[in-house]
Amino acid sequence: MTLTFQNLRKHYGSNVAIDDVSTSFAPGLIHGIIGPNGAGKSTLINMTAGSYTVSSGAIHLDGSNLCGLQKFEVANQGVARTYQNIRLFDQMTVLENLEVCYYPQAVGQAWKEILWPPFATEREARRRAACMELLSFFNLQGYAEAEAGSLPYGRQRMLEIARALVTNPRVLLLDEPAAGLNHHETAELTSRLAALKSPERVMIIVEHDMDLVMSLCDRIVVMHHGKLLFEGTPAEVQASTDVQTAYLGTANDIDDIKAAAEDRRAQLGIRARRRS
Amino acid sequence: MSSIDTSVPVSTGGSKVLAWLVVLAALALLVATPFLPNYYVRVVNGLLIYILLGIGLNIVVGYAGLLDLGFVAFYAVGAYTYALLASPQLDLHLPFLLIVVIAAGLGLMAGILLGIPVLKLRGDYLAIVTLGFGEIIRIIVNNVDWLTGGPKGIARLDKASVAGIELARPVEIYWLLLVCVVVIGTLVWRMERSILGKAWAAIREDQDAARGIGINTTVAKLTAFATSAMIGSIAGVIFAASQRFVSPESFALQESVLIVLMIVVGGIGNILGVIVGAAILILMPEVLREFAEWRVLFLGLLMIVLIILRPGGMIPRTFGPDKLIRRLFSR
Repeated sequence: MTLTFQNLRKHYGSNVAIDDVSTSFAPGLIHGIIGPNGAGKSTLINMTAGSYTVSSGAIHLDGSNLCGLQKFEVANQGVARTYQNIRLFDQMTVLENLEVCYYPQAVGQAWKEILWPPFATEREARRRAACMELLSFFNLQGYAEAEAGSLPYGRQRMLEIARALVTNPRVLLLDEPAAGLNHHETAELTSRLAALKSPERVMIIVEHDMDLVMSLCDRIVVMHHGKLLFEGTPAEVQASTDVQTAYLGTANDIDDIKAAAEDRRAQLGIRARRRS
Repeated sequence: MSSIDTSVPVSTGGSKVLAWLVVLAALALLVATPFLPNYYVRVVNGLLIYILLGIGLNIVVGYAGLLDLGFVAFYAVGAYTYALLASPQLDLHLPFLLIVVIAAGLGLMAGILLGIPVLKLRGDYLAIVTLGFGEIIRIIVNNVDWLTGGPKGIARLDKASVAGIELARPVEIYWLLLVCVVVIGTLVWRMERSILGKAWAAIREDQDAARGIGINTTVAKLTAFATSAMIGSIAGVIFAASQRFVSPESFALQESVLIVLMIVVGGIGNILGVIVGAAILILMPEVLREFAEWRVLFLGLLMIVLIILRPGGMIPRTFGPDKLIRRLFSR
């Protein structure tokens, strides 16, 4: 159940987005991918999920190659994801957003369900019960019949993660799950994600919120300019001078560092004030 | 956890009474029709054919969110299938039910044929290509004189008959249509509620995210196109059998536009909306018949007012037949 990247490359024309990345992600652990903007974190996620094609190299899940598969085929191999910008089925109800995930396994019997109501009733009830259970886990059961698009932002984030979990995926890819959440919501997210850890599942989180990454992740991959810069435990990552340089520049750029830190602080301040 | 009000927006004090009034009026019309003069029966038959067409097109436009402006092509396929297989034109006189099956098959193929090239298109681009498809079929029919009789059309079609019972008089066609609308309407309603219908909705909402949860959007979309075309084609067979004459002018672009309008006015993606939309757009011109040349103007004004007052259509998407029944028997 291991996800491996083998000499993975992605380029757009002469522009190299991912340059020869090889690593592997073991099940039962939460893996973080961090790195400055433009480092190629989301590209990695998008290639794994089949949204982007791979220029060269290979992505293996449990020995089977995911490259060259269409996006829906990758999903049916057990790779589920969330998006940086929430992408729910807005006009469907919260419950329907989850139920529709059973399509790949239910569509074979769809005609039987349409033509023979008793058969459908029983199977639908079973699917609905499973979805309701998942909604309860995310504390969304009260919204089951509401339109997904009408939910508050934080709830939508949770719903998107719930949707990714319906089919019990082998790989769960979370692209900035904490983006736009307030402290309270981030704390809730952290505890839920920790509870999702399973020996049957590879979890990968791309995230800018360092508190969340450092407290939640067991291993961290640091990306920089499309290359894999560093790999290790949170403590090792924090101690690495390479990583500090990648994020903050060299000691010569002390003014730049200060400016960047100031910027960051200002941004955080704005975000915190907006949330409060 | 806050609880959410899930009742439909139209919910007001008098809405139960209103629902009963509308449903009883519709039932009264259905019961009374066989006893009315032939002219009125023909009007109701026209209404039922358009409801059938609307139910079919609604699968593609309402459920899957793909704007198809060439739907009338499938209607033509069905009508000409009947005209060629049950008339002196080719001197073929196949039984009605067999032709229905053949036409359904041809419609299905035509649906997939249109579906494949437009798989990657959405919105305006899709509308233009499908519009072109509709026109191509009409122009072919208009020009292949040796087969279709060209603009003169094909006349003297056989009377339809099922199990030895002749279906030719307007009242007989009425019963045939009523059975078809009820059976097909029920099946399509079940499709909408099924996992397939949910997948269509997901494609409508966000095609890429739909792929991301494992939906083969190609197959799902082609299923929508094929099912919809099949229903259009069956409607065409019944239309030809009731008119016992077909000509290309019955399949002009304005017919496609009319069916799309019915869906939009009634309530997109809702089978009840299709029925209400058809009732408004098909019966209104009959009611306004005395005003002769003014009626198109009236109709246009009416549509503007309706769309302004109810931009989501007369019936909201979420108010399906199950909600209607619950409303009727609510306390």
